Amino acid sequence: MKCSRCLLQLVRSGRTVGQRGSLLLSPSSGQLIVQHNQQQQFRCSPASGKSQPEPVRFVNDDDTKKTKSLVTQEDLFEQVAKESRTKATFNQVIDVFTKRDIRRRGHVEFIYAALKKMPEFGVERDLTVYNKLLDVFPKEVFVPRNFIQRMFNHYPRQQECGVQVLEQMESYGIMPNIETKVLLVQIFGEKSHPIRKYQRIMYWFPRFKHTNPFPIPQPLPEDPVDLAVLSLTRIANDLDAKTTVYQLPFTDITESGEEISFPYIVGIQSPNQMELLAKHNPNRPVFVEGPFPLWLKKTCVCYYILRADPTPPEEKEEEVYDPERCFYYPLQLDLDLDRDLGDEENFDVDDLDEGPVFAMCMTSQGDQATLNQWISGLQQNNPILGRIPTLFRLDAGTRELEGVADTEAGHSHRPRPQSQREDGPPAEGPEAAVEEEEKPRRSQGMKQ
Amino acid sequence: RLIQMSLPNISRVPASRLLRSVRDLRWLLRSIAPLAVPRRALTQMGYRRPGQPREDKPPWWRVKFDLSKGLKGMKRHFQLLKEEFFAEFVGPMGKPIIEHMLEQNQVVWEFRGPHSLQEWTISCDREIGGKSEIYLKIGKNNETCLLYGTLCSDPPKDGETRYSGYCTMRAKQPLASFDRKKYHDWSSFNTLHLRIRGDGRPWMINIIAETYYTHQKDDMYSYFLYTRGGPYWQDVKIPFSKFFLAHRGRVQDDQHRLWLDKINAIGFTLGDKADGPFQLEIDFIGVCKDYAHTEDFAYEKYKRNPEV
Repeated sequence: MKCSRCLLQLVRSGRTVGQRGSLLLSPSSGQLIVQHNQQQQFRCSPASGKSQPEPVRFVNDDDTKKTKSLVTQEDLFEQVAKESRTKATFNQVIDVFTKRDIRRRGHVEFIYAALKKMPEFGVERDLTVYNKLLDVFPKEVFVPRNFIQRMFNHYPRQQECGVQVLEQMESYGIMPNIETKVLLVQIFGEKSHPIRKYQRIMYWFPRFKHTNPFPIPQPLPEDPVDLAVLSLTRIANDLDAKTTVYQLPFTDITESGEEISFPYIVGIQSPNQMELLAKHNPNRPVFVEGPFPLWLKKTCVCYYILRADPTPPEEKEEEVYDPERCFYYPLQLDLDLDRDLGDEENFDVDDLDEGPVFAMCMTSQGDQATLNQWISGLQQNNPILGRIPTLFRLDAGTRELEGVADTEAGHSHRPRPQSQREDGPPAEGPEAAVEEEEKPRRSQGMKQ
Repeated sequence: RLIQMSLPNISRVPASRLLRSVRDLRWLLRSIAPLAVPRRALTQMGYRRPGQPREDKPPWWRVKFDLSKGLKGMKRHFQLLKEEFFAEFVGPMGKPIIEHMLEQNQVVWEFRGPHSLQEWTISCDREIGGKSEIYLKIGKNNETCLLYGTLCSDPPKDGETRYSGYCTMRAKQPLASFDRKKYHDWSSFNTLHLRIRGDGRPWMINIIAETYYTHQKDDMYSYFLYTRGGPYWQDVKIPFSKFFLAHRGRVQDDQHRLWLDKINAIGFTLGDKADGPFQLEIDFIGVCKDYAHTEDFAYEKYKRNPEV
């Protein structure tokens, strides 16, 4: 592969220049980087990564022999103060290690320790940091030079370490780039395990990057209202659905000086749902149910729905198609034809009828007052809501599902006495009390 | 000694997820849920947690020899044998031949009643010492099944396990009379059709086909199942050509098409590293024939990068 070899030449020359250059330079933060001088007999303690510059302490050989404490490679990372664990300090620790010893003794343990400490420094998703970490390996030492070395898994510990670096990259979903490949070729040669792993990552990752039919934008919007709009459009399953922000979050100071924070209320309803609601029989109640969880990558949000029970068969009326709606073709055909077994396209299952869903909403506080507000907001577009009794079926206690950590093992779910509806998973929460707050409320358009 | 250097696991960028949770994970599934979902047969070796001493008991030690159980078992097996015998008069596999030849859609698993839960086994990383939980139950109206629980990706502290946090549900191998293995034959279909309602989490569907060699015991054909979340049901259609071969969670280099004539089981796994509660409702699982889909296999079968 000619191109990578050319790059190899270029990068190698660039790298050596860079290394020589960095040895001469001192970092701008004012901290002292101690260079290892092979001729000196004193071992210098690394003074790096600290937020305040410290004077260099020279440790005598006698001192270390007396204390005899075990120093692990992780200590370099541990020395960094907790507040100042950033990408810059991480890079500095790596620099300290690389400049300490020209032979990079103990680099395998150091790299393992660095991989373990990456999440604490917040750099686990940063490709440049991984490349810098791969740079710690001494170059061209582990490249096999003849067929015997290639056969016998040359330098297995280092190859395993390289593979672990790539595995951590893979587990965080980071795609390596050409610099990674060049580094790996320089370090391990072309027929090595890390290169094989790199090739596998480069084959499978692009294939599976766009397999999600419901992609989530990355990064997620910070504003909770935007996040609510995004998630509601996602679950609406209808491109015609319209989101309405009924209330933006704000804090109000009452006369007594208390601060009350009002939550945001975002609702969504599509024209189909409005039609269904308009056709709903006012004698039958509608239910506000929630909160149901929705996961977007690692965040869990909750939504509430307004739904009704399925109409019993005696009340179902046939939808009459108006023949004048479409003149191009008949909307209803009364043919006596039957489909052959070979043309049957539907599955032999009973259709689930769970009752129509009329609207969805998301709010940060799921109590009845807020949901009442939502219903009143909905009423402006659906006047029939004023005549329909609304029942609230909210799980008592939890509104945010992330807060719940314990679900009782083998809990028995009490069947809801009211109806035989089967919709929506039971929300996780204090399941022992799946309470229904049944307060028939005739919404008169008043806000509480 | 180096660990086997098989292909990496798939972690696709939107929500990276791990199939394998332990370096040497054996996918032996045992249910830990309430009585509705049964346990596996006791004679099989369970996963031995690191640090536990090996049991030196002979394999028959764990089998419970009980006369009433034996008699009931005999009765059941002979009943099944009789049913099978008379089913052959109706047609192959108990269906009339015209149906067997021409059918386009077949519902393989549907959840109508607590008896359908007997066909499934659930498992989570509690077996290896993790903290996840998983439960399976029938939804209201006996119409659907609900798989729910909590995922926790704290690895168990045994010094060996590095990753954790998975929950799975797997169909049991269909058994004929006298516990003979029966296979699903989906050779006339080419798409898997599921009707599910998830909470936005990405799952993985694994299909376990019958293999010949013992080395192939943990071979699985996998693909992703992305749920949308929300109160509406989601119809998911995945052609069988999209399933890629993985062994113990590691995607393999030599890929080949899933052979549909002998399918043992199907499974769902959740391993996205988002700690918290999850739920998945499944209405039915069926296979269908999509004439518009002509792809044989979605991935390259030839040796990629042989020379490097």
